[in-house]
This record gives sequence, C-alpha cells and structure tokens, in this order.
Amino acid sequence: MNFRDTMLDNYKEILKTYISDQTEQALYLSEKFSRKLLECKVSPEEMISLHKTSIMELEPDLPESLLLSLDILLEVMMAYGLAYREHQSLRTIQRELINEIEVAASMQQTLLGTQIPHLSSLDIGAISVPAKQMSGDYYHFVSHENGAISVAIADIIGKGIPAALCMSMIKYSMDSMPDDSQAPGDVLERLNRVVEQNVDPTMFITMFSGLYHPENHTFHYSSAGHEPGFFYNSEKGIFEELKAKGLLLGVDKKAKYNEYERKVEVGDVILLMSDGVTECRTEDGFLEVDTLIGYIEKYIQLGAQDIADKVYKELEYLQDFQLRDDFTLIILKRIA
Amino acid sequence: MNISIDVREQELQTTITLAGEIDAYTAPKLRETAFPYTEKQYANVVIDLSGVSYMDSTGLGVFVGLFKSLNANEGTLKLVGLSDRLKRLFDITGLADIMNINSVAEGGV
Amino acid sequence: MMDSSVKIINEWDIVAARQLGRNVAKELGFGIVDQARITTAISELARNIYLYAGQGEIIIEKVENGAKKGMTIISRDAGPGISDLRKVMEDGFSTSGGLGAGLPGVKRLMDEFSIESTLGEGTLIQSVKWLR
Repeated sequence: MNFRDTMLDNYKEILKTYISDQTEQALYLSEKFSRKLLECKVSPEEMISLHKTSIMELEPDLPESLLLSLDILLEVMMAYGLAYREHQSLRTIQRELINEIEVAASMQQTLLGTQIPHLSSLDIGAISVPAKQMSGDYYHFVSHENGAISVAIADIIGKGIPAALCMSMIKYSMDSMPDDSQAPGDVLERLNRVVEQNVDPTMFITMFSGLYHPENHTFHYSSAGHEPGFFYNSEKGIFEELKAKGLLLGVDKKAKYNEYERKVEVGDVILLMSDGVTECRTEDGFLEVDTLIGYIEKYIQLGAQDIADKVYKELEYLQDFQLRDDFTLIILKRIA
Repeated sequence: MNISIDVREQELQTTITLAGEIDAYTAPKLRETAFPYTEKQYANVVIDLSGVSYMDSTGLGVFVGLFKSLNANEGTLKLVGLSDRLKRLFDITGLADIMNINSVAEGGV
Repeated sequence: MMDSSVKIINEWDIVAARQLGRNVAKELGFGIVDQARITTAISELARNIYLYAGQGEIIIEKVENGAKKGMTIISRDAGPGISDLRKVMEDGFSTSGGLGAGLPGVKRLMDEFSIESTLGEGTLIQSVKWLR
C-alpha cells in the first residue's frame, strides 16, 4: 500500500491523538507526515481537503462556520500549490543546466588544449586554473617549422560562458594563421581586427604574444593591454617587468602593436601571467608585486613546471583557496 | 561588494560620481545607469572615480563600452580622480593613451 | 450537450466565469480540490483576457469520451496574440512576477491543454479536466 492510500487514516490518527491529549509525540508525527507529503508530491490544497475530511469524520458537530473557513483556506493555498509545482519543474531544469555546463566545460578543455613544445634549450611550464567552471583565460603554444616557438596568453574580459565562447573564436583565428606570420605584433594586429569585427563592444581581450628563437635565444614580444610579464635576469639575480605598450584587442581596429626584444641567457626565466595573478586579493588587500616576486624567487631554481605549480599553491593558500579570477601562469626557462 | 552611483546633469556636462567597488557584480548596474547618458549626441560625460576602491577587468569593460558609445555619438568621456592602482590598470591596457584620464578630481561644483 | 459562456470585459466578469465553472464542476461531481483547481485555471485564463486582450470569452462545456466525463474550458479572444508561445509556456516567468500562475500553471491544473495564437488575430486556449 502506498502513502496516498493510507494518508487519510494516518492523518486522522494523528489528529485524534492530538485532540484527546496534546502530546509532543503527535506533533512529531505530524512533522514526519509533512515530510512524507512533500516526498509524495501532495499539494497544499489536497492537504487542506484531507484535513477537512478528517475533522468532519472525527468531530461531526463542528460549527458550519469553521468548515466554511477551510474552503477559503483551500482557495488561498492554491497559489502556494502552483508555486510548489513550478519549483519542482525549475529544479529539474536547473539540474539539466548544470549538466550541460559540465559538458561544455570539459569540451572547452578539449577544444583549447595546447601542446607544450619540447626544446632542448628551453624548459616550459604552464598552469591554468579557472575560478568558475569555464575559464576566461587562454594560452597557446605553436612550434613553427623554423624551430621558433610562439606563445600567447590571453584574458577575456567577462567570465564564464560568454568568455568561453569568445575564446573559441580566438583559438580558431590563431589556428588558421599562416605559419609565416610569426611576429608577435602581426599576430596581435590580425587578432585585433577579428575581435573588433565580431565581438560585442563591451567585451574585449587582453593578450600577450611572444616568439622565442632557439638559434639566437632572443625573445620577441608584444602586448595588447595585457598584464606585463616578468623577466628574471639570472646573472644579476633581479626581476624586471616585461614592459610593453599596446591597446586591448577589440577597441580600435587600427591599433598598432610595437614589438620588443630580449636576449635570453642560460638560467634566465620569462614569466607570463593573467591578471588573476596580480589582481589576486588577500585578506589584507591586494597582492603586491614584491610579494609575488618573493614567491617566484623562492622557487626560481626549480624546473619550469614546478615553479608554476608551487607559485600557484602559494597564491591559492594566500586567498584561502577561493579564486576570484581565473589564474594562468606560464614559465619559460632557458636551460642550455 | 557595493557601489554608489550619483549622477548630476548640468547644461554642458553630466558628472557621474562613483564610490565603492566595480566588479562583475556591480558592473551591470553601472552600465545600465551610465549608458543612457552616452547615447545623446555631443554629450560630455565626466566620471569621478575618487571613491572607487577596487575595479576589475569587468569594470574596465564598462568604461570601454561607454567610451565607444560616446565616440559614436560625437561626445566626450573624461575620467577623473583615479587612484594609482586604477591609473595602472588604464596604463597597462593602453586605454590611457586613447581616453582622457586625470588622476586628480576636478574641483568646483 | 450543454455549453455556456461568459464575456470577459471587466474584472468582475472573472468572478462570473469562476462561478459558472464551479457550478458545472459541482454538477459533474468534482471534489473540492478539483473544483478549486478548475476555478483557479478559469481565473487565470479570464485574467489574461482582461489584462492583455481587452475582451474575449470563457466557454465552459461538459465533455464525454466513452466512459470518461469531464469539462472543457475554452478561452477565446481577438487580442494582439502571443508572439512567442514557447516563452509564455516557460516556467518562472509569471509567478515570480506576482501576476499569478501563468499559462504553465493552467496546464498543470488541468489534464489537457492546447493553445493557438496568431499575431493580430487573437488567441484560443482549450483545456480539459477529466473526472476521476
């Protein structure tokens, strides 16, 4: 027998017990009864009708006015009943949406996957952690036929799904770029035109684009409004900002991007990051550049991937494991 | 995470004074409030940021949107009262080169 | 087969439509819970006419399908029509706005539901409640 068949008898029993002696026991039973009602999807109006039937059977001499008042109560509870049913169906929809987002997030990981190139002279490490399910950060490596390596790191302003969609567009444009256009400034100029044409005016992208030549160990780079990276000069043991000027992608279609150059010696390290690194908020305010450099310095002797992982761990700890922004850090270390 | 937006319309310019934090939660409110003032022709909009303690990239997005809208309607946008941190944000993104930005708030009423 | 209708022009006509629906429901032997559901659905349909179409009518019919007995509520108006039926049938649009249960609510209260709407011509909604 299911609950619906017996609920009138159950309820009458509870009512009867309570009317004869007002025990906590009866109240506890009604609490359990009410949970069962929800479980079996009994609506408020049905419950009131059940109450009316029960009380009429138990107390046949009740005044008419009291019974009539239950009709009003029933009518008044109709809207609650509807809201309850709507809530049920919204919950199902929500569950479906969550599932879809999970699928989209894993698709994004596959779509945006990039191979970290292997070079005998350059040790490369990268870490990228989304704040929510979908990341608005993006990094990309390309190994060119002439042996040079392109690296790009981008931050889509806006987070979540819109940012992820936008990023797929960037990824597609980068993949369809001819192998002979490697110069970081050219890359940014091309992408800027794509973004300017296709994206919502309040959405834009910061990007740092670099090119490493292993035959003469120079690093060329340009920035489109991106957080400057750092350069570790191992001989002097100092960090310098990789300063580069350039406008965000998607603001002005005629924007030009200057190219800068660095000579990289054995032991030197190039660090590229998203603003999730520098805008990392802690209890005492913002992370200061010096603090960040302190962390990097602590691990600078390690391998590239270890530096990235360890610095991330430190910052994660500093923020109490609550990332407010997507976090991406790329390390290029010349080892030979 | 709160923002206060105060708009003062004068004959020749609209001054919008902001206080609080501009992030993903408050940026939509700022966009909704400020956008209509940028859509009139030849509008001059001044935004005072001296009371802004934090702004993330979403906030930056709003300013780019306002800037583009004003440009399209032949108006002007001026940002005043930027803290060093905000100034740095506009410098890095290259926006300081194309927008009218002043770290000192303008006096007078 | 008996049928009757109420013209909906002002808010008090909603009450008349409910009254008609309740009488028919009682006559057919619907219990008080189903009576409340049927009248709530009528209210919702009539209020939609009153608020969005200006005027129209609610028609109540008794129906029989073999051994099954029940009643049909038809709502007909010559209002502006609904441009996006999928949207009005989506949950979470009306109740939260305080306007009532909306059309999804009517669909839930009744056993069968169908809607046709043509922009500029009006809307026809038919719903059936079967006696169990």
